Order: sequence, then C-alpha cells, then structure tokens
Amino acid sequence: MLSKELVKEALRRALATGADYAEVFAEHTLHKMITLVSARTDTISDAVISGVGIRIFKGTRCVSGSASSLAPEAVLECASKVAEALSESAVISDIVLKERLFGDRHPVKVVPSSVPNADKIDYMREVCLAAKDYHEEITQVTGRFLEVDHKILIATSEGLFAQDRQIRSRISASAIASKDGENQTGGVGPGARKGMELLEDYDPKELGRKASRQAVTMLHAGYIKAGTMPVAIENGFGGVIFHEACGHSLEATSVALGCSQFAGKLGTVIANAKVTAIDDGTIPNAWGSINIDDEGTPSQKNVLIENGVLKTYMIDKLNGRRMGMRSTGSARRQSYEYAPTSRMTNTYIAAGEDKNEDIIASIEYGLYAKEMGGGSVNPATGQFNFAVNEGYVIRNGKICEPVRGASLIGKGSEVIMNIDMVGQDVDRGQGMCGSASGSIPTDVGQPLIRVASITVGGR
Amino acid sequence: MTYQEFKKAVIGIAMEKQISDYELYYTEGDAASVEIFKEEIKSYKTESSKGICFRCIVDGKAGYASTENLTEEEAESLVIRALENAKSIESSEQSFLHNTGDTYAVCEADTTSVPTGAELVDAAMEIQKEMYHADTRVADGTQTDFGHGRDRYALYNSNGLDLEDTVSYTFCYASALASDGGEMYNGGKSKIGKLQEFDLKDIAGKAVEDAVSTIGAESVESGRYTIVLSNEVMATLLQTYAPVFSAENAQKGLSLLKGKEGEKIAADFITITDDPLYQDSVQKRTFDGEGVATYAKNVVENGTLTTLLHNLKTAAIAGVKSTGNASKASYASVVGVSPFIFYMHPAQDTMEEGHSMEEGHSMEGGHSMEGGSSVESLFEQAEDGIYVTDISGLHAGANPVTGDFSLLSKGFLIKEGKKSTPIKNFTMSGNFFTLLKEIETLGGDLEFLRGRYGAPSALIRNIAIAGK
Repeated sequence: MLSKELVKEALRRALATGADYAEVFAEHTLHKMITLVSARTDTISDAVISGVGIRIFKGTRCVSGSASSLAPEAVLECASKVAEALSESAVISDIVLKERLFGDRHPVKVVPSSVPNADKIDYMREVCLAAKDYHEEITQVTGRFLEVDHKILIATSEGLFAQDRQIRSRISASAIASKDGENQTGGVGPGARKGMELLEDYDPKELGRKASRQAVTMLHAGYIKAGTMPVAIENGFGGVIFHEACGHSLEATSVALGCSQFAGKLGTVIANAKVTAIDDGTIPNAWGSINIDDEGTPSQKNVLIENGVLKTYMIDKLNGRRMGMRSTGSARRQSYEYAPTSRMTNTYIAAGEDKNEDIIASIEYGLYAKEMGGGSVNPATGQFNFAVNEGYVIRNGKICEPVRGASLIGKGSEVIMNIDMVGQDVDRGQGMCGSASGSIPTDVGQPLIRVASITVGGR
Repeated sequence: MTYQEFKKAVIGIAMEKQISDYELYYTEGDAASVEIFKEEIKSYKTESSKGICFRCIVDGKAGYASTENLTEEEAESLVIRALENAKSIESSEQSFLHNTGDTYAVCEADTTSVPTGAELVDAAMEIQKEMYHADTRVADGTQTDFGHGRDRYALYNSNGLDLEDTVSYTFCYASALASDGGEMYNGGKSKIGKLQEFDLKDIAGKAVEDAVSTIGAESVESGRYTIVLSNEVMATLLQTYAPVFSAENAQKGLSLLKGKEGEKIAADFITITDDPLYQDSVQKRTFDGEGVATYAKNVVENGTLTTLLHNLKTAAIAGVKSTGNASKASYASVVGVSPFIFYMHPAQDTMEEGHSMEEGHSMEGGHSMEGGSSVESLFEQAEDGIYVTDISGLHAGANPVTGDFSLLSKGFLIKEGKKSTPIKNFTMSGNFFTLLKEIETLGGDLEFLRGRYGAPSALIRNIAIAGK
C-alpha cells in the first residue's frame, strides 16, 4: 500500500516537533452493498475507501490527522500537519521498520469481489422470496448482501510494520407484516469474517422465513405491562445485555479517564459469581475477529470477568499510557478517518451450569426475551438500554403469549449482579457497534440467562 | 489529481464507453477539532477528506461506484464498476438525471470566520473552566469538544448541470459529569453555528445545569402519566421519525404515511416544515443530491399531510414534482430521500395571530420565540405528571416502520403545576403516529438539535411509563 521508505519519512516528519511516538495507519477498502426490495435488486453501492491516518503522542496528549489519499505527497503533508500541533525540539534516532508477520487465523476461501453480482443476487432473491411466501400478511421484504475487503497497514516509530487483510460478508433481511394500518418488523443478519463461503453456512429459505415469522408473530402480539420483573434472555444476540450493561464500561476509553462505573475495581467482585465474561478477537472467522488490532498489537483472548471478579479491562496504547498498563490488543477504528481507541471484538458470557428448562421454570411471572435489537449505554453513569424485538410472557414457569418490542433498562453495575442463572449453550450474534472510533463489527454472545429483576418498558 | 482533472478523465472514459447519461457527485472537507479533558488538551485532530461518486443511467437503471482515490486508473475502474452495477439492477422503477433550468438560491458560506486551531483550543478551554467553576459537584470526566468544519459539495451531470455549495460551521459539545460522592450524573449542551455568536459561559452553564439538576434522581412508579416532552426530546423524536415522511419509504411500504396525503395525521395546530434555506443556518444547501433546487415546504400543515418528501424517482412514480429532497448521506451513498432542516412550528401567540412566524426563531440559543406558551405553562396545564428531558437508545428503541417506541428516559416529576424532583431510569413507551394526533398543547420554545431538527416542547396525556 505504502513503501517502507515513505512510511519512514512520514514517521520522521511526524516526530519532528518533539512527539515521543508516531504511528501511520493506511487503508484501502472495498465496500459493496447490494439491496433487494420486493425480491429485485434495487440499488448497489460500491465504494473504494483509501487514505491515511497519522497519530503522535507526547505523554498522554494525542494529535491526529487524516487525509483521503495514499499519494506520497498527501501522506507526508498529513504527517507535517500533525507535527505542527507541537513545537518542541526533537532528537530523532533512526527508525528501523521490521515487518511483523503473523499467521492468519481467519482464512477466506472465496473473495467476494472475485464473484459476479448475479451470484449474490440469486442467493438474496431466495431469502426474500421465502420471506414473502411465508405468510399473506408479509407486505414487504428488504434483503442486503454486504461485502467488505479491508486492507490495513500499521507502522510506528518503535519499528513495527504490519499489514492485514480483513474480509467480511453479511446477509441481512428485514420483513414487514401489516394488518389494519399497523406494521411490525422482523429481521435476520448473520455475518462473519468470511468470503462467499458464508452463504454455505445458512439455508436462504430458513433465513427468510425466520425474519417473517418474527414479523407476523409480533403483528399478533399485545404489549407487556410496564414494570420490574425477572427476565430470561435467549442466547446469541441476547449477549447485547453484557455488551451494553458492562462491556463498554470495561473499555479503557472510559476507564482511563475515570469515567466508568468500573474504574478502580480490578480484582474486586463486580458481577454475580455465575458470570464469566470474555472478549476474544481470535475466534476463527468470527465477525468481530482481528489478527492484529488497529495499533498493530496481536489480538488475544481477554477474560474480563471470572466468576464475578474483574480481571482486566480492554486497553489500547494511548489509554494504556494513562493507566500504566499494557495494550490488550483492543485498539480499533472504523477507518483511517477515526483515531483508534479500545473497543470490543467478540464479547460473550461463558457457559454456566444451569439448564434452560430450569431457568424458564424458575420464573413465576416475567418476560422471555427471544430476539433482541440494539442498545446503548452511558459508561459513566452505567445507565443502559436495549430493545427486545420478540418477547413472550412467562407465567407459572411456562412461556405463554408473545408481546411486542419493550426496552429493558437498568444500571450496568446492578444488573450484572442480578444475572443469577446462566445456561450452557453459548451462541453469538453479529452487530455493528458505534462509539468514539466509529462503527465497527462486533459479536455479542451468551447462553440463556436469567436476570432476577430488571425494568421492562412495556405499556 | 484534482476534482476538475478527475472529472475530465471520467467524462472521457464515459464517452469511450458510450455512456450518455451520467453524474458526478463530489464532496471535500477540512475539519479541525480539539477535546479538552480536565484542563488539558486530550487530543487535537485535523481531517482532510474527499470522495467522488459516479452514477450512470443505462436503460433507466442507475449504477453507482465511488472512490477516494483520484487517479487515472481509478477513473476507468469507477466507470466500469458503475456500468456493471447498473446492469445488475432489476427494479422496474426508472431513474433520472436532473435537467438545467432551476433557479438556485445564492448562499455564501462565511469563510472569513474560520477559527484557527489556537482559537478552538482557547474556546474549548474557556468552556471547560466555566463548567468546573459553575458547581463544586462537577467531576473529572467532564469534557469539551470544539471544532470547525468546511464542506464543499459539487454536482456535475451529462445534462449540463454544474453546481457547487460550500458550508462552514463551528461546533461544540460540552459534556458535564457531576457526582454527589457516589453516583455519577451526566449532562450536556451542543451548539453549531458561528464561533463569534457562541456564548461560552452560557453553554457551560447549561451543560452543568443539565447534570447537577438530576443529582439525587430517584426512580418512579410504573403507570400512565401526563407527559411534557422538552423541546429537545420532541426534536429528537421528529428526527428519529423523519424517515416516515419519505416518499421512497412510503412507496416501498416502509412508512405508514403511504397514501395519506391530504389526510389529517396530526393535531390541528401542528405544522411541520422542511426548509433547506432556513434563516441564518450555517448548513444551508441550495441543491439536493440530484441537483434539484431546494426550497421550503410544509409537510404537515395544520394537522394535514400536505406532501411527502420526494426525489426525482419517487416523484415520477407518484406523478408529482420532486420536492428537492434527494439525499446522499455521504458522497458514496445511493440517492435516498431526507429532509434538510426539519422542524415543528412552535405555538403562536394567540393575542397576535398573523404575526410573522419567521421573525423570532433562534437556531440553537434555546430562547423562546416571542409569544406562545413557555414550558412552565405546560407544567401548569399538566398539573401532575412527568417532564421528560432526555431520551436514549433511539436506534433500537424506536422503530420508524411501526411507529412504536420504548425509550430509556430521564426528567423531573411535575407536581401541582411545577417542575419538582429529578427522576431517572424509566422508560417512556408509545407510538409516534398516535403521539402526533394526541399532542394536547405545544410550547412556544422552538429549539434545534445540531441545527437540523427542531421542535417546541409538547404536552401529551396518558403515556406508559415503566419504572419501579
């Protein structure tokens, strides 16, 4: 992407005014999305994203710059502009760039850009037609195929020189069921760090029917009565509860500044003893996986919480300086335009010992949250929320009638103590996580869990 | 290559490939921003961005390709990719390019008042200092972001359109954190406009007030309440549900306003306008994502849906004229539909009906326009209820297709017609379409969010709240 000589010169220029660390991040990305409406291709967006992001540190102060170009003069100009923000004298010793090689844990079989549009469209058409045919109340189906081919180069004044190619694909479908002037929606969205072989993992008809089943079920559902109650949250995307209630507050992004409900709590009990939570960027071909993070540190499996005890935070280099701790390989950025910071990769609550049937049977009156939507959190206050896309009332230990989209809300540090039953079958779901360094692919996951008491935003 | 050189190269290649209908949409921007933490510069960032999208129309089908890499080889690849993509489109709907003949507004971006990096740092430091001075309970974690951006938009098409807009704006976000020794409480205030018009002390004061006023907030009993939505909360709902006014969503069955033009969809006193040229906005745009001239239009007038928002394609399907609302979220996006500067009109002073509406609005200042009810008078009318001042989780807890929302909220109890103690950790649930019809009273206090979505405060009864 960029020659070592050019990178070296950019690093030298960036250090010229007294910075103690400089980093060049270059990117060349293909991003294509095919959208089908009514089972016919409606639009195709097809973008090349390329540019450079340069950062320098002086202690814990960070100056960054970006330019939408990989042309040598643009890269050097960007470096000079970044250096302009400091004005101290500098002694720059020679930088020896050494290529860091690592094994690819996430091999891709068929690169999507090597395959014509028609193959992707044929698959998506099948998804959409199956969704439409599921029920007469299905009035619209939107299908999407996303492919991303993200090539990155990272070089630092410490001599690191590393490159990676991250290929990701995602299938998504959204179905709308309508009756008497009312709409309800249902959706699916599996993705992975894979190429076209992702399509072999899923039966397109099954995906379409799943989206529609959810929409039709919700169209015939009532609303749960608002209040506080026990909730059983299903595996897979249900893991969004940990991601919001706890995960973001364990990122150095907020911990290093003291703006986290869990700052200063290492080694203490912050969760129910049943909870062990892990962030693991090394899971082969998972949606949120990375070989190296966006600072060039190899990804690793980080046990965040073990049997309720806080073991580590997720840390990047800059915040590591603030905290006096090493990077955990957690630095991520959407693109060269964003400065990286610590973020999640694939985060999940590990398997426990409770049986699913015992979890449901233990609830006299409550909510069974089968499919979840996204959520958000303020890490400083710990207040979080996430949406239940498909829920059912639990009465006398049995799953009863469906209820529509209610939000679950709470304070992370309290809710994580309230997870008092943990099932055995971990599954993960895919999402896009938006935060300080942009929108990045992350997995969430868990087995079926019980939260003893949480506020359910019904009507 | 510069934009002009790249444009020339693309035109040459399009001719070679015998593509007769095409468009180039280009954006470039420069931005600088600073983050202050405690009283130190946490980060300073400069950005220089550009990107170009080539859109060709072949047999009525639009093919897109975009790039940030303006080189000779890329110009050819761009045209080839777009052509490939056009051939893959199966939708029977026709796409169009715009013709010349529109009259465009003239907006000169204020490029004289671009703050230097040092001025951004000084202004941010000032806000940060004022926040710490404003209240002893302000805690570390309080942060100020301050920046400036300049964006240039250019559109060229084979029908001879060659347009350009530049916008230039300063923005800041003061984020206050307060602590009572145990719990943390957050608050904030954002502003967009011209630096010389920013009242830094006022911004700091409002951010701190937003945080400290919630100290000691308790939970609230679940039940049905009379609700006063703050102007910013009402504007946030309007922004979240703006997609329901898109003709594209209506035609695709993604909006319940499909076929509702001419019908009552809101209370009689509700008027909603999209005005891309709104007063002294720093984000005025003279042409839309297809080069159609922009203009002000009422989408809802006295409760009646007057029009949906259109681009050329949706207008042709509906047999109407484009409302100039073709949107491109970024240069790389496909053409969609969205409003530019979208707001719900505040209540007018009943004593002076007919008084020009356009005089008293303020973009971001938070001042009420003359006349109309203040939010305090809405408290009086509510007697007992809840004043909602913040909602979050919009991307998941609010669904534009169904209209349903269930949102994490915070605010205050209203007791005996007055704002009372703070409350937190509750949800407010309802449906946007029902809400439009059931709003009982609007305030006169129009407020804009990030300068793009505006609304006054609003009173509505019988809303479900989940708390204890």
